[in-house]
Amino acid sequence: MTVAAAHAGSWRRIAADPTLLVTLTAIWLLLGLFVLYPLVELLARAFVDDGRFSLAPLLESLADPSHRAAFLNSLLLGTSVGLLGTALGFLFALTAVRGGLGRHWLTLLDAFALLPLVSPPFTTSISIIFSFGPKGFITHDLLGLTNVSPYGYWSTTLAETLTYFPIAYLTLRPILAAIDPNLEEMAFSLGGSRWRIFRTVTLPLAVPGFANAFLLLFAASLADFATPLILAGNSFPVLPTQAFLQITGMFDFKGGAVLSLILLVPAAAVFLLQRYWVGRRTYVTVTGKVGQRSRTRAMAPWAGALLVAGCFLVAALIAYFYALLVWASLVVAFGANNSFTWAHYHVIFTEGLPAIRDTLIIAAIGMPLGGFYGVLVGYLIARRRFPGRRAMELVAMINYALPGTIVGIAYLIAFNDPPLALTGGALIIVACYVFRYSPTGIRATVALLQQIDRSLDEASSSLGAGSGETFRRVTLPLIAPAFFAGLGVVFIRSMTAISATIFLVSISWTLITVRILENMTELSLGPAAAFSVFVIVVVFVVIGGLSAVLVRLRAPAAGAAARSLLGG
Amino acid sequence: MPTVSIRLDRVSKRFDHTVKGEVYAVRDVSLAVEQGELLTLLGPSGCGKSTTLRMIAGFEEPDAGTISIDGRDVTHVLPNKRGIGFMFQNYALFPHLSVFENVAYGLRVQGRDAAGITRAVNEVLELVGLASYGRQQPHQLSGGEQQRVALARAVVFQPKVLLFDEPLSNLDAKLRVEMREQIRALQKRIGITTVYVTHDQEEAMAISDRIAVMERGVVVQDGTAFDLYYRPRTEFVARFIGRTNLLAARVVSAAEVEVEGQHIALATGHPVGSTVQLVVRPEMIELSPAPPGDAVIAQRTFLGEKTDYLVTLGGVALQVSATDHYRRPPMEPGQPVAVRFHPEGIHVL
Repeated sequence: MTVAAAHAGSWRRIAADPTLLVTLTAIWLLLGLFVLYPLVELLARAFVDDGRFSLAPLLESLADPSHRAAFLNSLLLGTSVGLLGTALGFLFALTAVRGGLGRHWLTLLDAFALLPLVSPPFTTSISIIFSFGPKGFITHDLLGLTNVSPYGYWSTTLAETLTYFPIAYLTLRPILAAIDPNLEEMAFSLGGSRWRIFRTVTLPLAVPGFANAFLLLFAASLADFATPLILAGNSFPVLPTQAFLQITGMFDFKGGAVLSLILLVPAAAVFLLQRYWVGRRTYVTVTGKVGQRSRTRAMAPWAGALLVAGCFLVAALIAYFYALLVWASLVVAFGANNSFTWAHYHVIFTEGLPAIRDTLIIAAIGMPLGGFYGVLVGYLIARRRFPGRRAMELVAMINYALPGTIVGIAYLIAFNDPPLALTGGALIIVACYVFRYSPTGIRATVALLQQIDRSLDEASSSLGAGSGETFRRVTLPLIAPAFFAGLGVVFIRSMTAISATIFLVSISWTLITVRILENMTELSLGPAAAFSVFVIVVVFVVIGGLSAVLVRLRAPAAGAAARSLLGG
Repeated sequence: MPTVSIRLDRVSKRFDHTVKGEVYAVRDVSLAVEQGELLTLLGPSGCGKSTTLRMIAGFEEPDAGTISIDGRDVTHVLPNKRGIGFMFQNYALFPHLSVFENVAYGLRVQGRDAAGITRAVNEVLELVGLASYGRQQPHQLSGGEQQRVALARAVVFQPKVLLFDEPLSNLDAKLRVEMREQIRALQKRIGITTVYVTHDQEEAMAISDRIAVMERGVVVQDGTAFDLYYRPRTEFVARFIGRTNLLAARVVSAAEVEVEGQHIALATGHPVGSTVQLVVRPEMIELSPAPPGDAVIAQRTFLGEKTDYLVTLGGVALQVSATDHYRRPPMEPGQPVAVRFHPEGIHVL
């Protein structure tokens, strides 16, 4: 059968299956509207002048020394966070895998490592100001320093490293755990010292993991908007904040679009590197069968103790930052008046109530939509054969892979004017969340379906069920864990995200994260802290509930789905 | 007099079990392996044979007892200071290193000069029949080839002892026989003391000078394959090695016992009237169709070189092997037959 004939065949099959046809059409319409159209509008705004293509705005923007500095600063920040975060993630992963910790200690370690991932983006930044600011607990109260500035490269790097190192931990831990302990024992029996084994066996086998972790952290730092907005200050401008100021400060949409597109260059480079270079460099165990797992002697007891100590030092720092946040939310004025008060919570539940209400409404609408969209697209990609399947997979991932600043500006440009004047409403924010954060659900669904034999679908269709019926009766129950994971990610991100949606909020619809930012700039730190604590509590309650659901489902891949819940 | 190379003296190892609490994986094991000897630890999974081997290698530390290699107490010595060659069930080839570098690893650790390393590695690769494979990556090799690389890596630095942990269990049946012959030939050629762990009794019998049978952390019997087969000390050994009829017999006189009405001329040394357990191998029983006796054929399995019968005699089922089946027509299920025991090989527990 020729390729053309094969295509004709699959077209015929779609035409014969109305459910599939309608579904595909609807998804392509949505992807076109909320992924491709904004991107095209963004590119047009940046590169089209008077109806003609022109690189002049880009060159102009690059010629601006402050923009060039922002570009270089972004790269410097990404590289620093990538290196430090990978090192920290490796420390945690090595301790978890080889430290000989008991199960309960491991759970505690995990909890500390994952706390920053599910917190609103400013938590560490706020705590750093509380700690190292002019009235900071450490700088002022303990060291008695005055005139210190918590802003700039170092504090931004510290905050982003602590926020994003869990990504490296989650990447490296399975890779270290998959290294066959027999390999290390083998090298041990061949006479190698422990240090030599670590150098010549363990580290080389972890290299692909290092590369992957570094790239993920680099991308996360590059896209991070909230931390530099609070901590970078004037001395250390980076691209996302520059683009934001260009638009909100100067109403220069074109300049913002160009700046955000400059951000795209390193982001795309990272994406391609990760996909085509790191992806091919994983070592699989040659025989596929991992040797018996026993407490290996390949780690000297003192080295294990050192690792554990290092981890708990970091965990203590994280705990200290969170304690500081809670403390600040419960005192009248941090650093000045330390008497207890509920006032800040009173503020957020009265003045702040619209933001809380809006955020919860948007999260509640986005959650089911995003969860359903995730499993539907994941199912179509993993199970159905139709023309344009690869294209759909790629397009569905775009908003997820792009830095939030780009997505936000693209939405702002695309939906600001008729015929699609959606800005100012809740719909645009919901759409932004659904198309930006559901790809986690898509991936979880694809991963889950790859473990479930295709013959189940075929059995159902042999019994006379159409594709819709099969999806509802057979597939949906099996991919329930991915569905709940997708729900969870959309909800958590709806509560914590800011980089894209800061461009989309309005007087009638605002978000908690945006209110936190406003509080920070107005220096009303108490309500900012109280808002943060509130978000953390809500997110933890939701994660707890979802974990309970996932455990009850007892599905084979529930564990993986739960991890993707946190890793998203 | 042969010198002892590996000695285990009352070695014990406990593990924490999530349900049962503390359990003994190995309990009071004492063994002596002579210079150049190949000793096999044989037993079902979970009997402690691998743990014993891993303690000799130093991967595990015993909770009690001592281990010495060539007269030196190594009980608490780290594995890298013991001079052992180890072969894992999954070969544990370093996936990031070429075949050459895998084999060279031990020599590089010793700090040998480059020329010496190249010479030694090429020599040993030739010995295992992989002379031109040095540049290949482990994942490009077949299971048998990976196995030989692991073997080459374990012997190249001339360790004092070789330890094998079920090295053949990932190979298919035919390759398994081929490889065990290669391992045995190589071991004899370099005359290296070897401890070999397996759960396959046929493999153990084929490869070993001596076999130690383990059950629940304890060595229940050690001896040659011949000893274990014809003079098993316990019911467990009798059942684990080969196929066995364990028959309760009544001592009729000093030189005679009786099983289900059949009298066998066998001096047991047990008092008249007592009951003894007989270990009767399937090939020690002879069946004859004429004249028909009081046994009945229940089942027949033709296996080429022999025919296995299941025969009912009174209240017991007997396993019988006949190798002279080509001489006469096969006996059919349901056919009455006469049973004769050959007393020469029968062993009293």
